[in-house]
Amino acid sequence: MLLRVENIHKSYGAVEILKGVSFEMAPGQSKVIMGPSGTGKSTLLRCVNHLSPPDQGRIFVEGEELTAKNLNTMRQKVAFVFQDFNLFTHLRTVENVAIGPRKLRGFSKSAALDLAYKELDRVGLSDRADAYPAELSGGQQQRASIARALAMEPKLILFDEPTSALDPELTGEVVSVMNKLASEGMTMLVVSHEIGFARKAADEVIFMEGGKIIEQGPPSQLFEAPQQDRTRAFLNVIEHGGDA
Amino acid sequence: MIFETLISQMPYLAHGLAVAIGLLVCLLSLGLVLGLILAILEVYGHWSLRLACVAFERVFRGIPAIVLLLLFYYGVTDYIDMGSFTAAVLALGLRSAAYQSQIFRGAFLSVPIGQMMAARAMGMNKLQAIRDIVLPQALRMSIGPWTNEFSSELKATSLAYVIGVVELTRQAKYIISNTQGNILIVFGVVALMYFVVNRAGNWALYRLENRLALPGFEHRGDA
Repeated sequence: MLLRVENIHKSYGAVEILKGVSFEMAPGQSKVIMGPSGTGKSTLLRCVNHLSPPDQGRIFVEGEELTAKNLNTMRQKVAFVFQDFNLFTHLRTVENVAIGPRKLRGFSKSAALDLAYKELDRVGLSDRADAYPAELSGGQQQRASIARALAMEPKLILFDEPTSALDPELTGEVVSVMNKLASEGMTMLVVSHEIGFARKAADEVIFMEGGKIIEQGPPSQLFEAPQQDRTRAFLNVIEHGGDA
Repeated sequence: MIFETLISQMPYLAHGLAVAIGLLVCLLSLGLVLGLILAILEVYGHWSLRLACVAFERVFRGIPAIVLLLLFYYGVTDYIDMGSFTAAVLALGLRSAAYQSQIFRGAFLSVPIGQMMAARAMGMNKLQAIRDIVLPQALRMSIGPWTNEFSSELKATSLAYVIGVVELTRQAKYIISNTQGNILIVFGVVALMYFVVNRAGNWALYRLENRLALPGFEHRGDA
């Protein structure tokens, strides 16, 4: 298994956000995590790369356990794409993509830039390479941040609601990049309510509520024949808009 | 006649100005390096380091500059041998470090937390993230407030007069004593010299700020 998440618990103060979550991912798999807000999806994602270290439970990447000691090397294998992009505001788009290889992977300046141009091309942003993040649209910023993740040549990319800050038009350009990555065999764990992406690209959908996994399965099964009432109610809301 | 006096004394005033600027550069450099270290420790350091930095900063911000000068020159030179210029650099430089640390602390805190998070998430350690991601952004935001510190410290160099540094104000005093009078005109010229250096420095810093401004990022009130 590429990723093994074992019995993750996490509390903020007295509130227990995650109440024992476990799952596994094989190389090349894409999984989408869905569920009502406040249910711990983003917290779970942040536990996977220890952006917020879990209180209990263990994370294994390629069989190696993530600890405080190997954190920085392990994170190079597990890229993270944020809801609000978090591109480095003082760097041009291409420098944003090049900085990881340059500072962390030992690339020379020119090799890092070459790789950065290649990854920008992959997300369709070659023409904006010299722009600063504040000069990009939201969709372009998110594609740039995906390119920044790709430049680390990670084993796995975590996406934390990558389209939630975007309007529908811009969402489309980001989702099509993600579809492309999934079809190229990138391993992706995605917190998102993009049913379109889940249907097309996900191998499995995980439905979470109240800090636990309620139901999981291939998108065809989960969307067409959900076993749990809660899953059905939630899907009804995001597909048709209604009361959950 | 007064102009002849002024012209003949001009080399002394010019020398005094050079000493003042030398003192300014030394004390601001000391303040910059130490102020940055203090700010980084105050924002990112262990609580014990944070406490030490805050204590340092409170002490040096809480004592008048002139008292610091007297303390360093008459107090410390009893134990460590140093000239009045060095004492002035230390007294004013450490005080400037305390003030500058607060400029930089504010700038570090105004960099959105997402920048640090993104840097750490890609595998940078804390020091790399501070150096390569947060610092370049914080320094840009510090230039504006730093012009204040530049102005204050230029004027504070005149206080070094009291411990015998022969800077601009003291040269003026010598000229007045030697030429028996001309107080208004000599101090007037000295005031003009301070003013011109102040404006020139601020102009250069403003230019630097604009040069480093990030396209699309800082709108400076025209939004």
